[in-house]
Amino acid sequence: MINFDPYLNLAFFDTLATVIGTASSQAGTDGLMNAGANLGGGMVAKLNGIWPEITLCIAATLSLFVGMAKHVQMRRMTWWISALGLAVAALIAAYEPARPDAHSMISAGMGQYVKIMFALTGLVLLLVAAQIPETLAVTHRNEIDRPDFDPGQVVRGEFFAFFLLSLAGAMLCGGADDLVWLFLALELTSLPTYVLVATARDRIEAQEAGVKYFFLGALSAAVFLYGFALIYGATGHTDLGLIHQYVMTNGASPMFITGLLLSLLGVAFKIAAFPMHFYVADVYQGANVGVTAYLAFVPKAAGFISLIVLLGLIIPENNQPIMGVEPITGLIWIMAAATMTLGNILALLQNNVKRMLAYSSIAHSGYMLVGLTAGLGNHPEGHADGVSGVLFYLVAYGLATIAVFAVIGCLQVNGEEAETYEDLDGLSNRHPFLSGTMLLATMSMIGLPPMVGFVGKLFLFSTAMDAGFIILVIIAVVNSAVSAAYYLRLFHACFFGHEHGQFEHIPEPADAKPVVDRIGPFFGYPLAQIVVPILARRSAAFVAVGAALWLGVASGWLVNASMNAVGRSTTPTPVIETAEYPNNLPAPGSSPLPSPTSSLPAILPDITPDPTSDSKAIATPDVPAV
Amino acid sequence: MIESMHAVTLGHFLMTGAILFVLGLIGFVTRRNLIIMFLCTEMMFQGVAITLIAFSKFHMNMSGQTFVIFLLTVAAAESAMALGLVVLLFRRKRSLDSQVWAQMAG
Repeated sequence: MINFDPYLNLAFFDTLATVIGTASSQAGTDGLMNAGANLGGGMVAKLNGIWPEITLCIAATLSLFVGMAKHVQMRRMTWWISALGLAVAALIAAYEPARPDAHSMISAGMGQYVKIMFALTGLVLLLVAAQIPETLAVTHRNEIDRPDFDPGQVVRGEFFAFFLLSLAGAMLCGGADDLVWLFLALELTSLPTYVLVATARDRIEAQEAGVKYFFLGALSAAVFLYGFALIYGATGHTDLGLIHQYVMTNGASPMFITGLLLSLLGVAFKIAAFPMHFYVADVYQGANVGVTAYLAFVPKAAGFISLIVLLGLIIPENNQPIMGVEPITGLIWIMAAATMTLGNILALLQNNVKRMLAYSSIAHSGYMLVGLTAGLGNHPEGHADGVSGVLFYLVAYGLATIAVFAVIGCLQVNGEEAETYEDLDGLSNRHPFLSGTMLLATMSMIGLPPMVGFVGKLFLFSTAMDAGFIILVIIAVVNSAVSAAYYLRLFHACFFGHEHGQFEHIPEPADAKPVVDRIGPFFGYPLAQIVVPILARRSAAFVAVGAALWLGVASGWLVNASMNAVGRSTTPTPVIETAEYPNNLPAPGSSPLPSPTSSLPAILPDITPDPTSDSKAIATPDVPAV
Repeated sequence: MIESMHAVTLGHFLMTGAILFVLGLIGFVTRRNLIIMFLCTEMMFQGVAITLIAFSKFHMNMSGQTFVIFLLTVAAAESAMALGLVVLLFRRKRSLDSQVWAQMAG
């Protein structure tokens, strides 16, 4: 005879009443009507916080519809719709008010930072990926060879719609305040990328990459879901703020720690960290280079943001350490050290540039894990500093990686993507601008001064020093030096290699002429003829590397933005700072945007901008400390 | 006395969920047929779902059950995509053996 324990006898309506009762008592109201109004208010506040994502979903739907249009010129508009959607999303995110229901310092300003970051890098990635649907065999078969319209055989709309949906998922990770939300956001990020990998290239390797990526992705999703289930079981909440409160008062139970470990392991797949890194090289090699650039940034950044959100659960408040969370710090420490060492060693052994970049992206994940480790240290402001270092480095890493992949994507050897070092031999003779871009991007990845990668590494490693992880910083710096070997090999091939291969650009965009004809009457033909061909991969490379250089020289505002994103006040005197905001909470009424009088934290003393300058004037001519 | 020994408690549900999860994991690692491998990940999802529902009853709130609704939706979307991918692969190589898909290495 089955004898359920007393809890299980509760009827559905009792439970519902309990839920509503809890909500109403939390909201400080008495009646059921008020409770309903408050629940509705919370929902509206949440919806108001995700307008950028909603914009992207609308653009994705539009793109799907327009991709079904009868005329090919109309179908080619899908790219423009996607670009417009991303631009509008960036604007909305920039003017988004702070979320009134933000409960923790992490989700307060981070969502906005993350959304702007994804929308702007998404635009650059869209440039890299612009020509992919044109080059597919299915497009040639059904649009060029046989121009009668078959709606089942057009891929443009789907490609860009998946692109936007995945970006929307990545943006949602930043504002996650619930385990369910985080799970859905991570899945929305991942699912479209599986399709993009498998279908955006006609080689059989792409399908192999797609199936590997999909199956391991599903496995990792199951693992972190089990972790989420255990976290819920240990605390009784899925709301991250309530979980944090529960852990603060009751300490971390072994079940909670197990759940957190499993979630970290599952998310480690997304960021390609040590135990879950093995798929990366195959997937990056097999996918179309435009999709590879996407994979190297968006899912990884989404994974890091989820890690920040998850690790926010065990951050001490009021200087009371949470009991029993030491294993997590140790695990992240080991993951960081193993990830960067393994990534660098394996990258040294590669002959294929895409595989090398895959392993180097693993190494970069390791550097960012150093920042997360620092965030878990005992330093009073350590958590906010560590997280903002990661947020900063995500931008630095993304720009350099996108630039390198875009340069490689510009080159074709015998009709195939350039892949090996030999394919790049003597690039500087044929394409000086592309090889210059490659040089600057690799400098940023090594972490050499004028580039943003230098500031990023300085930020990350000095934070870890402050938090007391000296050995980890030594490992990271040695790894950083080792990584120069394979980046310089790339540079050497471009500038000193002997030419023997056949280089050619990817042909001019096939859709340039119709677009010129279309917008010519409005903007004038000369302008249209200049502007439209700019929308190609190489301009993505130039934009990305230009941004990396500019952010390296004028890094102050991005440092401020990333500090503000985690609610770290950037007032100049640390004494007042700790007195006013002991809990790392954002100042009441503080805007997530850089405050006009903000200055740099003490770790970057040499590039402090003039404190009186308006930080919104982002072109402030800061001088680097070199 | 005997009744209480045979009572179904939270632990039984958690154990069922955990066994399903681990069986799925073992199957995923050992099997080579793509569809079976995918079914194994589905089994892992179902293990998670059972765990969540058990915890939901235990904690007397609906969060866990809400989670399961979303989980099932995502699992359905994933299986639709998995079948699409498997069909795509089968057209290329006429085989569902995962070992056939191991060209890239290094």
